[in-house]
Amino acid sequence: MDILRTDKLSKWFGGLCAVKEVSFSLVKGEIMGLIGPNGAGKTTLINLISGVFPPTNGNILYQGKNITRLKTHSLNKMGIARTFQIVRIFKTLTVIENVLTAMVNRKTYGPWSLAWGSLFKRSGAFTDNKDACVKAEELLDFVGIGEYRDELAENMPYAFSKRLEIARALATRPEVLLLDEPSSGLNPKEQNDQVEIIKKINQQGTTIMIIEHVMKVIMEISHRLIVLHYGEKIAEGEPEKVYSDPKVIEAYLGGDADA
Amino acid sequence: MSQDKYNKLWKALGIAVLFAIPLVISDRYFLHLMVMAGIFVMLTSSWNLLTGYAGQINLGHAAFYGIGAYTSALLVMKVGISPWIGLFMGGFVSAFFGLLLGIPSIRLSGPYLAITTIGFAEILRLVAMNWVELTRGSLGLYGIPPLTAIKLSPGFSIEFTSERNFYYVLLIAIFLTLFCFKRLVQSEFGITLKSMRDDEPGAESIGVDTTRYKLAVFTISAFFAGFAGALFAHYQRLVSPDTLSLGETFTILTMTMLGGLGTLAGPVVGAILLTFLSEGLRFVEDMVKLNVRMVIYGFLLIITILFMREGVVGLFSHYRRSGDTGQ
Repeated sequence: MDILRTDKLSKWFGGLCAVKEVSFSLVKGEIMGLIGPNGAGKTTLINLISGVFPPTNGNILYQGKNITRLKTHSLNKMGIARTFQIVRIFKTLTVIENVLTAMVNRKTYGPWSLAWGSLFKRSGAFTDNKDACVKAEELLDFVGIGEYRDELAENMPYAFSKRLEIARALATRPEVLLLDEPSSGLNPKEQNDQVEIIKKINQQGTTIMIIEHVMKVIMEISHRLIVLHYGEKIAEGEPEKVYSDPKVIEAYLGGDADA
Repeated sequence: MSQDKYNKLWKALGIAVLFAIPLVISDRYFLHLMVMAGIFVMLTSSWNLLTGYAGQINLGHAAFYGIGAYTSALLVMKVGISPWIGLFMGGFVSAFFGLLLGIPSIRLSGPYLAITTIGFAEILRLVAMNWVELTRGSLGLYGIPPLTAIKLSPGFSIEFTSERNFYYVLLIAIFLTLFCFKRLVQSEFGITLKSMRDDEPGAESIGVDTTRYKLAVFTISAFFAGFAGALFAHYQRLVSPDTLSLGETFTILTMTMLGGLGTLAGPVVGAILLTFLSEGLRFVEDMVKLNVRMVIYGFLLIITILFMREGVVGLFSHYRRSGDTGQ
């Protein structure tokens, strides 16, 4: 069962083709790895799927609906969440506030209804909301940073801020989670923790698409792999098969595969 | 719990003192300064919501102030509506312009937005300057009626021409304004603004429609600035194109930065401090025969940015770290 499908997706930046006619489908419940050498268009592909910018050509279907030109915030409301290669947490908020702000029901409440509602509620209605706080704490514990609850996000060690970003994405209760290099810049111990977290998220039923450079990580957690090279999909399939595919080896090592 | 009670006690005491000031001090000049400080409290707080909390750098805030002042003054003088309604009309028309200025903010941010907002205010200032038939140009609108007296019983009514009575009107307006801002800031709405300020793509990724939030916060901020402008028009009873000038915006900016950007108490503290400081400097200016006021503003701004990013309020919150409430 496909949850997300792209159909000949292309993105041109001026004369540069960053993603070229990429078609793939994401099966509900799987972890799909997206790999490729630097500049292969991996992040561009994630940006296209998460609505950062529209594709030049092609379509994206999510649960049967065409979502090609929807913006990031609309896609999030439909169940597609993401993290970023370079963390984009809310620095001046506390750790738990980072998660709480993601838990606001934005499908039902826009800015005006939130603003108007705030005038008639008791002040601090947000942080006093016990249910929301309990859930936010659960999420923080889930990624293992519960003890930093009231710390300012900007004071968090790098590895933990990456986990906070995952917790924040999970707070929006996504069906599909797009992870852009979740273990970049982490040491081997931290990478292992990250793998465990991603596996746990997947076991709870969330479909995951992950960009990763660390081969050990990607081989361990992916059910399937897609390889991009100069914007084109050059291989797809089970990790072991893709790993030994001559085209993939050539893309990574360059030159002739036999050499 | 007892901490809470203490806070309530202090607040009640503060409010009582504010209401008692005109009864104890009858000096009209002092009350005038209090009124001006009060109007600036409304202005700085509204600017702070937009720039401090939502991160939208607006260097044309004086435009909203001027729009509110001119709108109310003209409607009362030419159409003949009650100044009380004029106050709200000033707010609403300003809010509409806020919405318009919000549109470029969808695509622009940081310095680009700042320059656009300066342009916006300058255009309006030139309109006020040159549309002589309507605004009397640089002479300004004079003879604006004061807030109409409230008749309590035949033969007894409350006039609003004196500084003292106007002070009370303003005090109530400020309480309502600050109450609104406190609620707005300490809610889902406020936390969303801060999220957007900290990281826009990050906010989008958790479902925040940043476009609609920007428009909303521009509109809300402009409403309160316009309301403050309308109050000023019926107090001073004279509005000139100077109200729309960049200098006015910089006064608002300096006050807020000095008090503490992105805190609730900061703009209040900053507005009161600078209003009284700049009056004190008048005497200095008379002595040295130099316009030192702007020099001192600039100096204070630099000191604040270099050594106390969180302003005066930030200095105190080291002692009692209570998040961003700053109360």
